[in-house]
Amino acid sequence: MSHEGHYREAHPLIFVFQHWVNLICMAGLAFSGFVIHGSFYAISMGGARMIHFTLMFVLAVNITSRIILSFWVKDANQLGTREVDTDIKNWLPQKENKHQLLETAKYYLFMRKERVISAKYGALQKIAYLATVPITFFMGYTGFALYGPAQQWPVWGFFAGGISLVGGIMTMRIIHYFGMWVVILFTMVHAYLAAIDGFKAFYGLIFLWRESPGAEEGH
Amino acid sequence: MAQEMREGIYDLLAARGVSRRDFLKYCGSVAAMLGLSEMAAPQIAAAVEGGAKLQPAVWLDLGLCTGCTESTAQAGNPNVADIVLDLLSINYMETIMAAAGDQAEEAKAKTIEEGGYILIVEGTVMTGEGGNTLRIAGKTGMEVLKEAASKAAAIVAVGSCAVDGGWVRANPNPAGGKGVKDVAVELGFDKVPIINLPTCPVNPEWIVAVVIDVLMLGALENLAVLNLDELGRPKLIFGQTIHDNCPRRGHFENGEFVKQFGTVEEVKQFCLYEVGCKGPQTFTNCPKVRWNRKASWCVESGAPCIGCGNLNWVDNDAPFLKRMPNVGGVRPETIGTVLGGAAAAGLLVHGVASFSSGRAKGAPVETSKAYDKKKGGDK
Repeated sequence: MSHEGHYREAHPLIFVFQHWVNLICMAGLAFSGFVIHGSFYAISMGGARMIHFTLMFVLAVNITSRIILSFWVKDANQLGTREVDTDIKNWLPQKENKHQLLETAKYYLFMRKERVISAKYGALQKIAYLATVPITFFMGYTGFALYGPAQQWPVWGFFAGGISLVGGIMTMRIIHYFGMWVVILFTMVHAYLAAIDGFKAFYGLIFLWRESPGAEEGH
Repeated sequence: MAQEMREGIYDLLAARGVSRRDFLKYCGSVAAMLGLSEMAAPQIAAAVEGGAKLQPAVWLDLGLCTGCTESTAQAGNPNVADIVLDLLSINYMETIMAAAGDQAEEAKAKTIEEGGYILIVEGTVMTGEGGNTLRIAGKTGMEVLKEAASKAAAIVAVGSCAVDGGWVRANPNPAGGKGVKDVAVELGFDKVPIINLPTCPVNPEWIVAVVIDVLMLGALENLAVLNLDELGRPKLIFGQTIHDNCPRRGHFENGEFVKQFGTVEEVKQFCLYEVGCKGPQTFTNCPKVRWNRKASWCVESGAPCIGCGNLNWVDNDAPFLKRMPNVGGVRPETIGTVLGGAAAAGLLVHGVASFSSGRAKGAPVETSKAYDKKKGGDK
């Protein structure tokens, strides 16, 4: 009755690799961002910025390619199975998750005891993961808006419009700063929920691509 | 005739202790500010020399501290900039004009009637209490502006107050302070080109550059030569950040910062970023042009930039010695830390509850969805 099996079909190697890239980029971006914001750690500011920019480009390419790959790569769409289908189906509405958003929230708030029926990604989980895409690109946009004014790019109007919209470059800086906290909070909750729902199984698969059998199979 | 004018201006310069060489050097620096090659210096000199065609101007004082006038007048040590500014025939300027009362108002009315003048506006447009928060000669400041702007060839808003309300419009803004551009449609002069020269106060060198543009490059006939950005500021003056041209930039790159005033880092003139310098988001060429006859400027004299060249600069940049302004009266760093701390505490409590309830070892999965059960029950 415990956990379902965690098979490699749930997270193909390419996605495990991309998950690593995401993690390294986000951690590096948050750290170098803090250095740029407050220089609490006396390293070269040019170095911190170079790291920040590089990781941002890597992250943008990684996420974009992840989206493209989802149309090609086949992986499991359900929990504890080796049956595969196109990955994009994980990101569209699935019948297993229908009417389960509120129930999932109730479970995490201890308002119900049983875990809810779900597809590989639960309703709440799927929304949170999908939200990381616009948030990441939004962070890229706000970052470029902070960096760009002196660059005189032909596309500068695209960013200048955003700066005018929010009421100035300082407001854009604060939005970028709070955006980083949103990413940090997401990562905290994400890492916690993966750990509490079966640390060894989840972490083993997503980081080391190590399979673990379900509770039923283990006995 | 032209020769006489030329000699006239050099006599004027000589009388003020400025040699021809100094004059040409200055023209070279103006050329640089206008984005021209130094080869343009003789052209600029010729424009100034031949600038006997005085450009009529009206200088309006609205809600102001007169700092921009002080900055522009720079009394006590006349230089080449004064000669250029003398090319403006300022027919009305409350602070310096000899005339007073009806006589002064008549001079202004006459200039307005003739049209084609440059209107220089200093100070905030006070819209509060139906515009009655500022009254000049029996009229509201808004009426005065409307009247003066109607026939102007161009408006030059000098200083942050005239550009967007400056410090006067800082919260809670009881006087309803606004910039000239903000009321252009309401007061019916939105067709008149507006050139914005922010900072508090305005740097006279920028006014000189605009005057040269008008005299030499025919900016009034073809505004494109001013190369204004979307906020109406000349790009060549307001196109780069202070940070980009800061003499302390090397210390920034090396991670060498003043973290507190009165420390050895301050003596070493390290970067002021940590004590709130707004140079990275302030777009002016202060480090190049400098202030007070090129004597120095804020950062060079040891103070962090407070971002007076930004829009709504007081609300956006105060507290001046902090990196970012408060959000709802609270430091953004505090908000972020509290959110992060609250999330960590929440997750810790959740974790303890998950372990103590045995859920962490694996909770049973429902056999059918709650929704379906409810639906089935209804049946």
